[in-house]
Amino acid sequence: MATISLSKSEKAYIQSSLKASSSLRADGRRPHDYRGIALETGVAPLANGSARLNIGKTNHEQSGGTEVLAATKLEVEDIENGDGVEGGRIVCSVSCSPSAYPHVSYAALDDLQYDYTTLVQDILAHPSLHPPNLSILRGKKSWLLALDLVVLSDSGNIYDALFMAARAALWDTKVPRTRSVEYRANGSRPAGGNDMDVDQEKQSALDTRQVKTATDFELEDYWDEGEPLGGRDKWPVCITLNLFPPLYYLDAALQEEAATPLRLLLMFSFKSQAPASLQGMRLMGTDDIDLSLVSGLIKEGEKHAGELFVAINAKLKEEDIRRTEKARRRFAAVR
Amino acid sequence: MQASFDRRRVNGPDESLAPRENRGEGEGLWTSDQYIVLKAGLISQANGSAYVETERTKIACAVYGPRQSKSTTFSEKGRLNVEVKFAPFSCSSRRAPLRDAEDRSLAVHIQQSLAQSVRLELLPKSVIDIFITVIESDGNEACVAAGAVAASTALANAGIEMLGLVVSCVASTVGKEIWLDPTEEESRLAAGTLGFACIPALGTITSVWQRGSMLPIEAARCMELCQERCTDIHQIVAQALLDDVREI
Repeated sequence: MATISLSKSEKAYIQSSLKASSSLRADGRRPHDYRGIALETGVAPLANGSARLNIGKTNHEQSGGTEVLAATKLEVEDIENGDGVEGGRIVCSVSCSPSAYPHVSYAALDDLQYDYTTLVQDILAHPSLHPPNLSILRGKKSWLLALDLVVLSDSGNIYDALFMAARAALWDTKVPRTRSVEYRANGSRPAGGNDMDVDQEKQSALDTRQVKTATDFELEDYWDEGEPLGGRDKWPVCITLNLFPPLYYLDAALQEEAATPLRLLLMFSFKSQAPASLQGMRLMGTDDIDLSLVSGLIKEGEKHAGELFVAINAKLKEEDIRRTEKARRRFAAVR
Repeated sequence: MQASFDRRRVNGPDESLAPRENRGEGEGLWTSDQYIVLKAGLISQANGSAYVETERTKIACAVYGPRQSKSTTFSEKGRLNVEVKFAPFSCSSRRAPLRDAEDRSLAVHIQQSLAQSVRLELLPKSVIDIFITVIESDGNEACVAAGAVAASTALANAGIEMLGLVVSCVASTVGKEIWLDPTEEESRLAAGTLGFACIPALGTITSVWQRGSMLPIEAARCMELCQERCTDIHQIVAQALLDDVREI
């Protein structure tokens, strides 16, 4: 995480006001308040799923804030000859636009991108979150889901933004429906001189080799976007607790981040009808913290993550309705 | 001595034993379920060094510093620079000797584990280089844990002022049980894995990371078990450092 440099007196000033009995923050928020979050899905028409998220966009300027663009693209992979894995695989990458970090050198920017990428990849590509419908043909072809996140600007709380945008893009992802296809040798050709005589053999019901004749696939409907990616509700949300042990506050702005030496990232997954599960955790920074405090913070984080989850879900459902409504109205107008 | 002594060729040793059997009784210490060997001061040209060996993880660590920082910007606190390198033969499939991107994520984890313990405010304009070589690896989490222990021992061996020794271990949830220090296959089977680093002398946690699916209560229980195990490992580290000092 790229912190801006603050003078010691600025840091002390921010710290003392945050630690005060009634915490004061520069923009007047309470410690557990988030800035406004703007979310839009379907922003990249060429991608299978996409979302654009902005935390803290100022209303009168319509700019600023932490902005992340996420898009998923599905590619077909060969299992036998290529990198494909049975059941499909997910690869995540985060790239940081140099305009987001103007004070960071190119080498350090590379390192920063790499750090974000490994964090997102470790959490989201874990087998426990793997969606069930990424397979095309058993043993032959599978989908590679490439999730690419671009940090367009960073004004604090980048981790929450990355995971929210990832969740939105994955929610929006549609997997094209495929149908397996098998090729048959033409029966009217002379039997001699041909290697393949598939039709001549008797088709036995017990012949398990029949399964392997599906050699290729086709799209059922070229214009259909497909079915939603399986396991959409499992994708985690991330909450960053910025710590002055034992106090914590949420959604730090840039200066507040630079003045806080320790933070705890918690990723929670809320499956329906199941208790919340911790899907990832990372302690970053240096300060005194002990075990009992960490356990307490996990509980607090779960509460806040739950609220965030409900809010994002409501917005995503609204986005779904808005886009299908738009499409319907457009078709109606054309007709 | 031998009838077939061949003067024309370089003769190999008369006897050849596996390294484990060559060790005397007090060389390694058995903790409740795992064999750990930890030796300090093996690399003579470094300011401090340590070698850690568990069942299937072997890590050598060398510390150079504090030395002058090459960067021109003034820093009033010292910098801790951790570099991890995997030997090409360390994993089941050969790793290219070039600097891999994966090395950086381990280095970041180990730096997070150590940063709290070193008194960097006493070393302005300086940098402490920690070079970790993984000779045999049993999964990334095990390397991070063993690397942090090796680095902490090497830092103490180098005489760098620290608040306490950092000790680290890994726990994973498999079904309803919690397994400590899993091997690579065990952590692949596990639903969730949690890595933990603390300073037992102070009772503070320096780094905790978790991935996979785990209930918050399971995570809390994993951390408790890790902390208990860390106190055991801390004794081994302290013993190794004492042995090294006594040998001089």
